[in-house]
Formats: sequence, C-alpha cells, structure tokens
Amino acid sequence: MTVSALTRPGERDRLIVKLGEIDWMFCLVLTLIAGAGGVMLFSIAGSSWMPWALPHLLRYVLFFAIMIALSLVDLRVWFTLAYPVYGIGLVLTALVDVVGHHALGAQRWLQLGPITIQPSEIMKIGLVLALARFYHGASGRTAQLSWWLLWPALLILMPVALVAKQPDLGTALLILMTGGVIMILGGLSWRLITIGFLGAIAVVPPAVMFGLHDYQRKRLLTFLNPESDLSGSGYHIQQSKIALGSGGLLGKGYGLGSQSQLNFLPEKQTDFIFSTLAEEFGFVGCVSIILLYAAVIFMALRTAYISHSHFGRLAAAGVTVTFALYVLINGSMVMGLAPVVGVPMPLLSYGGTVMLTVMIGFGLVQAVRVHRYSEVTSGKGALM
Amino acid sequence: MAQPAIFFEEVNERQGVFHRRAFVLGGVAGLGLVALSARLAQLQLVETQRYEKLSASNQFNFKLMPPPRGLVVDRNGVVLASNRPNFRLMVARDKGSDVPGTLKTLAQFVPLDDKRMERLAKDIAFAPKRAPVEVMEDMTWEQFSAINLRAPELPGVTADMGEVRVYPHGGAFAHVVGYVAKVNKDDITDDGPNSEPIMLNPGFRIGKQGVEKAFDLDLRGKPGAQKVEVDANGREVRQDPDGDIPAVPGKEIRLTLDADIQLRAEQVFGEESGAAVMMDCRTGDVLCMFSGPSFDANRFVRGLTGAEYRGLAEYERKPLFNKALTATYPPGSTFKTMVALAALENGYDPKTQHVCNKVWFWGGRPWHCDQAHGTQDLHSAIATSCDIYFYQCALAVGPDKIARVAREFGLGQIFDLGIPGQKPGLVPDTAYKRRTFKKDPVWHPGETPSMGIGQGYTHLNPLQLCVQAARLANGRKALHPRLVRSIGGVETKSGAAWGDLPFNPAHIDFIKNGMAAVTGASGERISGATGLQFGDLGLGPIKMAGKTGTAQSQGYAGGTGAHGAVGEWKKRDHAWFICFAPYDDPRYAMSVLVEHGGFGGSVAAPRAREIMRVALLKDPELRARIEKPLPMPAIPSGPAGGDVVPDLPAQPVDPSLAAQQATPT
Repeated sequence: MTVSALTRPGERDRLIVKLGEIDWMFCLVLTLIAGAGGVMLFSIAGSSWMPWALPHLLRYVLFFAIMIALSLVDLRVWFTLAYPVYGIGLVLTALVDVVGHHALGAQRWLQLGPITIQPSEIMKIGLVLALARFYHGASGRTAQLSWWLLWPALLILMPVALVAKQPDLGTALLILMTGGVIMILGGLSWRLITIGFLGAIAVVPPAVMFGLHDYQRKRLLTFLNPESDLSGSGYHIQQSKIALGSGGLLGKGYGLGSQSQLNFLPEKQTDFIFSTLAEEFGFVGCVSIILLYAAVIFMALRTAYISHSHFGRLAAAGVTVTFALYVLINGSMVMGLAPVVGVPMPLLSYGGTVMLTVMIGFGLVQAVRVHRYSEVTSGKGALM
Repeated sequence: MAQPAIFFEEVNERQGVFHRRAFVLGGVAGLGLVALSARLAQLQLVETQRYEKLSASNQFNFKLMPPPRGLVVDRNGVVLASNRPNFRLMVARDKGSDVPGTLKTLAQFVPLDDKRMERLAKDIAFAPKRAPVEVMEDMTWEQFSAINLRAPELPGVTADMGEVRVYPHGGAFAHVVGYVAKVNKDDITDDGPNSEPIMLNPGFRIGKQGVEKAFDLDLRGKPGAQKVEVDANGREVRQDPDGDIPAVPGKEIRLTLDADIQLRAEQVFGEESGAAVMMDCRTGDVLCMFSGPSFDANRFVRGLTGAEYRGLAEYERKPLFNKALTATYPPGSTFKTMVALAALENGYDPKTQHVCNKVWFWGGRPWHCDQAHGTQDLHSAIATSCDIYFYQCALAVGPDKIARVAREFGLGQIFDLGIPGQKPGLVPDTAYKRRTFKKDPVWHPGETPSMGIGQGYTHLNPLQLCVQAARLANGRKALHPRLVRSIGGVETKSGAAWGDLPFNPAHIDFIKNGMAAVTGASGERISGATGLQFGDLGLGPIKMAGKTGTAQSQGYAGGTGAHGAVGEWKKRDHAWFICFAPYDDPRYAMSVLVEHGGFGGSVAAPRAREIMRVALLKDPELRARIEKPLPMPAIPSGPAGGDVVPDLPAQPVDPSLAAQQATPT
C-alpha cells in the first residue's frame, strides 16, 4: 500500500492510485460492524428483513459508496469548504428553532420537501472541518494560549448553544466534547485544560438544577439512583442491564433474546441495539464488537497520525473523536454507567442520519489518508 | 510565515504536540473501551445469574386458573350441585383497540342489542387495561367456534371455556344446597380467603346460601396458575404448560339427604307452602329437608333481574325462605306428646280420666274442644287429640316441667347442621315470662291450658319437630340431626354420638303407643282417633305412627270454618304431622308442616305418608319385610310358571354414573 513519497508529479492524482491508497482493511471493519447491525435488526424484527434490517444494509451500501467518493475529494477542497459547511450547518441549526419539526418534545428535524435534515449532524462535520482549518492556520503559540483562542471557542459554543436549546443535550455535549478534544489536540496549554475541566465540574450541578428540562433532569437523577423509579425513567436502564446481564458468556442464542423479542427493551432497534446483541450473543459477542470499534478508532487515529498537513491531522482526529465518543457514550448508557441521552451506537444502530454523518466523516478520514502528502496551504483557498 | 525556518520549527512543534496528544487520546479511548469491557464482564459474567432471574420474571407471568368447584352429592352420590362447561366471551381494552367496533363485529355472531353494547362499552372503558370484561356467557358451541375462529382479527377478544355451577334438580334442594352467584364488591375483604385475587376473576362465583355458602372455602379449592410468556405490554405471547401450577379442586360435600325422598317431597307439596324434614331415627341423618315452594337455584347463578328477584321475594308463600329452619309456628297438638310425657315423668296416673263435652269451664271462661270426645284417659286423649283432656293434664303438670321435657326433645333448640339460618323459636316457661314481660312477669294459670295444646307462646320450626319425633321413635338417645355426612371424604360426627334422654323408656313407649293409636298402627282403633287412615301405608306389615297437629295461626280466634281450612289463605290454620315408621321398629321419623294448610290430619298426614313410603321402600331390610318372599314351590320349568312379575324398580345409584357427572368436561 505504501507508495513512495517520491513519485512522479500527477501520479497521486490518478484514480487507481487514489483507490489503492484507501484503507480497505478499515472499510472491511466498518462493513463488519454494519453487517452485525443488520444481523441484529433482522433478529429483533422477528427474523424479518423489514422494517429495519434491509433499509439498514441498503443505506450502508449507499453511504459506503458516498464515503469512497468523498475519500477521492482533494483535501484542499475540504479545506476550502470547511467554513462554508460550518456556516450552512449553523444557519440550519438556527433555523430548526424557528420552523423545525417537533419530535418527542424536541425540535431536531428540518423538513425540506421529502428530505428530513438534522442540522446538528451537519454541524458535527462542519465543526471538525472549521476547527481543523482554524488550527491549520494558527501557530503553535497561538493554539497554546492566546486571545485568538476565543475564535475556536466561539466556533464550538455557538452550535452547542443552539443544539442544547432544541433541546438535544446528548448531541450538544457530543459537539462540545469533540470541539474540546480538538482544541487539546491543537495544542491548548495544560493550564487552560485544567481550568476548563474545573470550570466544567463547577458548572454542572447548577446547570442540572436550573438549566435543564424536567425530563432531562429526571433522566439524569434516575441515572444516579436507577432503583428509584423502575417503571418510569429507570425502566430503560434497568431493562437494558437485565438484557445484558442475562446474556451471560455466550448469550441466549440468535433470535432468542426475550428482553428484546418481547419488547421489554425500549428503542431496541436504535439506542439499545447493543443490549440486544449482548443478550443474544453474550460477553463473547460484545467483546468482539468492542474490538471492531477499537480497530476503527485506532486505524482512524493512525490516519491522523500519518497525515502531513495539520488540517488533515486535526480533521481525521476530530472525526475519530466524534466516533469514539458515540461508542463510549452509548456503551456507558446501555451498561448503566451514564444517563440515557439518546446517543446511538454508530453503524450498529438503525437510523440513517447518524450513519450518514459517520460515513461522511470516514470519507473525510480516508480523504486525509489518500491525500496525506498533499500540501494544504493556509490562508485563502489554494484551489478556488 | 515569511520566515521558513520558524515556519518549519512551528510546524514540527505543532506536529509533535499533536502526535503526543493523539497518542494520549488513543490511550484514553482504549482505556474507555477496556472499561466498557470490564463493565460487561461484571454484568455478563459475575452478576449474570441475578439478571437471568430478572429476565425470566419479566418474561413469564402466571395467570390464575379458577379451580373446579367441589360437588355436592346426596348420601348415595347423586349429584345435587356440579359444574358444566360454559363458553364465555370476554373483551378487554388494549392499546389501539376499538371497543365499540369490536362489539359491533361480535354482534354479528352473538345476540347483543344496542343498549347492552352501550353498557358493555362503558364497562370496558372503566375496567383496567387488558382486564377482560364478560360480554356473554353460555354461548352455543357454534357461537363459540365462530368467534374463536375470528379472534386473531379481533384485538382484545377472548372466547374461553370456563365452568359454571349447575343444580340438576332445580328447586328441590335449593334451600339446603343454596346457590353461588357472582362476587360483588361487599364480598371482597381486606384479608382472609375472600381477599384472594381469584375473587376478581371474571365469572368467578362464591356461595351465597345454604351449603354453598357455609362450606364455600371447602368447595372452592385452590386456584392454579398457568404460566404464560408475556411481552412488555403484558400481552400473552405463548403458554408454557410445563410451568403450570395445577388448581386444587374443591372438596366434595356429601350430604345425608336422599335425593329420591327429597324429590318426592317436592312432588307432594306442589304449590303448597311448608316444609318436610325426615331423619333416620337410629343415626340422626337428615334424609329429607324440603321447603316449599322452592325456586330454581340456577337462575341465581346466572344472576336475577330486579323484577325476577322482587317476584320471588314478594310472593306471599315466601319461596326464598327455608321454612324447615327459619320459620317458626305454633306446634299445635303435636305438642301434646310432650305434655303427656311430662305428666308421666311427674307421676301422673295415665289412667286418670276426664270427660270431654266439647266445652269445659275453667277460670271463668269456656275452653273448647273440636268435638265431644266423652270419657278419655291419657292414652285415648293422645289418639283423639282431645284438647279438654290436655288442658287439665297440663294444669296438673305445670309449664316448667312441660318446658323441660320439650327442650330435652330438641324443641326450641338450635342444632349444629352446618348451614346457617336456624331460628330457635320458643318453649315458654315461668322464667321466660319473668325475663321478657317486665310489666307482667307472672305466669298466669290461664296460660297453661294453651301451652298444653301447643298454642300460646310456643312456636317451633319443622326441624325441631322432626328431632322430637326422632327422639321419641328412638326412645333412648338424644339424637342430633346431621345434614353434612362428609367433607372431602372426612366423616362428620354421627347424630347418634350424643347422650341418652333422661326419661323412663317405659314412659316414652307409652307416648309411642299413643301415637300408634292415632293412626291405628298397632291395630287398636279408638273412636275419634285423628289419623286412622294413615297408619296403613299399603306396605304390608310396615305401619306408621304419628301425631296430628292443627295450629291456629291467628291467635285463639281460629281460622274461619272447620279447622280454618277455608277462607283467606293467610288466615288458615297450620297443618302439622309428626310420625315415625315402622311403628314397631322405628327407622324413619319425620315432621311435615303445611303452612295455612288447615287440618293436620287431612293435609299434612297424607303428604307425610307419601314421603315416608319412598324411604321405606328404599330400605332393603324393610323391603324384605314388605315383600315377604315365599319359598318358591318347586315347579318344573314350563310356560305356566315362566311369567316373572317384575320387581318394583330398584333405585340404586351407579357410582360410576355419578362420577361421570362429576368429572368436568
């Protein structure tokens, strides 16, 4: 796979060479996870392709193609589009507040003709791109400690505030944490990191008491004491733990998970699909899936590692961070280690939006890999 | 960026920082994943058993299965109360179910009018979610199968086969056996057996009267449970027959009654109001306890409408009353047996003679008799039931001594029958007057003659009179009536296992001879005896002894006409007859009351005779005496001797047949 750094000019722009540069091992792991998702969705629908398994797999095939296509897009194009994508995302997020579609007490969706758009998902990619572009043009000293850091902070906090207002606390936190990690990776001084952490810890309790909606606060308090309300808010966590625990070492067998087959598990096709897998395939199945996720995270992180451009590094790492946060938050949630925040397990859960975000993100990661030697100049567009 | 050197340095510095921090990030992510795996190991490997249990209790529910109610049978195993299959239709409310629409669909298969549908829709709306409400009972097999076939398309609809109580003899046993009816709110208690969840099962019924009520818990059994797999909404997904807990069927209650005798009693009473009680005078077993007119207990199982209930409750002949126990009447002349015995026990010479001229003046007023009996001694006075003789006999003995004898014979007493509703009535004495009449606590001499002929304060129930007859007939033992022979195969205490009567057997024999003279059972035919035509039962040597009684129901004024047998029903005299047979070796004793029937000798006695005949004919030893099989002459086989006259149809009860009826299908 390694192509010498000293190749003829234009050689790297050839399609076949670019395709060869894609990390196909990485693609295989993604496909395995999505395939496992399809298998589980088939099981919980009572051994039926509909309504979940078939759309899930078809979507994956489509998004996989999109990922490959995006991986061929020159990193300079990504660079150029970084701020526009962020801007569009921000505008759409703001728009949701005004004309958004109500779902379960929260405004998250935007209906554009037949397409429903969740602008917060665009925001995830947009923020990663925008921050990567900012840090690409910033000096190490600037990134460490300077008034210029107010700019990335603003880039992060604007969408966080808009999304939190929808209210989609899970996504808001996800965006906040992704942005924070990118700032750290960009070279934020340890003093600021420490202050940030302490500030976050100080802010959480009053925010919980006064800044949250009732149902959000209830979820959080239930998490802290799940036995307090087993038929209400604690139900999700308790049922998920029962599903996991009763799976044991080898699971109850494919299609035999009583918790999911008999609907004791809520949202079993989306947020709690991991519990279903755990129930039917046990500890062995769970650890296998976790290893696949670990492989995805480390392969993506390695792509960031080998990139020659700072933009590429931070973009790939940012996507990886988003993905890893999805996995860790969903995993903690279903295992009763975190409150129920409505974050799905990427690729495994049913749902097109998150899968599209993740696959676009991995398209970016692969673009970084394919174009890891390209020179991305700072300043105004090298390309356009 | 004008200075390449700095640029490069900066770039390298940035890269270095990124690489170091990305490395840490990878480590943190890895640690996070390891932590998740550790948590998984804790849940799935260490605590798995606990969660398996929780999962199973999520998955399985137990559905209560009502136990089959115990049978009530007569002494020979003839079924008096059993269960029959009942096809029920139930509708429950559930998420997304359209109850009025469902009912409309159901109306195509079963008769449901608009009014009923409206009510049902309301009932179902108020019932808890998924709690079935009974829409119809007793569907035909066709209706049942038609609905069962379509049940999958009708959410919330279940058609199942339950059991419902059935009383095959209709009214004959209604007062003793009682009936079951649906549980109403007042039946459910906070604790004890009536707090159990089975009480809320649709279609569950509990005993409300008689044996069904008194032995409800024995008959009820223990509910079982059906293990069913349910989903998160509690809907049934699958059944797991291996996990079922079988119901414990209720115990069988065997009564001492004999169905044939009781059914005959029902026949002979017709629409007459009254009661007949028969006891075995060796064991105390109650062979017959009938109260007429009766009612169909099956109607109560189904549930009566208000109009039906009012009809029964307001009928002047009181069909809902068990007159054998709850109604008390003046005993009339049957009480003279007690007066005579008290006299003998207190040294009264039975040869003492009094002359009856139809009227006797004493205490400044005339005392009447129904005819002029002439010169009477104690023996003939019992036979002719001469009031004037007994006025004077009672005065000679005094009320307290008569009352003591009467009480020893069970009058005014309550017995442990097992079923509720006995009224003790009253045997008065001077202490009673002192206790009750604060303004006039003295027993006036004028009250004694009335007591001597079973009038005045004295009023008793038919069971007590039967006990009296049985104790007289037995002659020795203070028999107690026994109605329940065994509960779940465990025998109850025999009615003979009590003490002896504290009287001289010779004196009791004197009374029995007097009763034989009433009916002419002993062959002695005293002119004016009140029951001469009833001694002979048409059963050869088996004769019946007895004592008639005609009790005024309207104070001393009496009914209108001879013995008040005509005129308004409610004002007529009560007709009594107590008797026992065979008179020479008593087996069965009984009392018959015909409320407002008129003269005891012509209304109660013939009915007693008919009922008694059934009992006697069923007794194999007596059958042998009646039929007196002659030694067959040794006739060689030929056409002349070949005609065999068929025996009287025996009425043995095939136990296997009874068992078949008992097995719920």
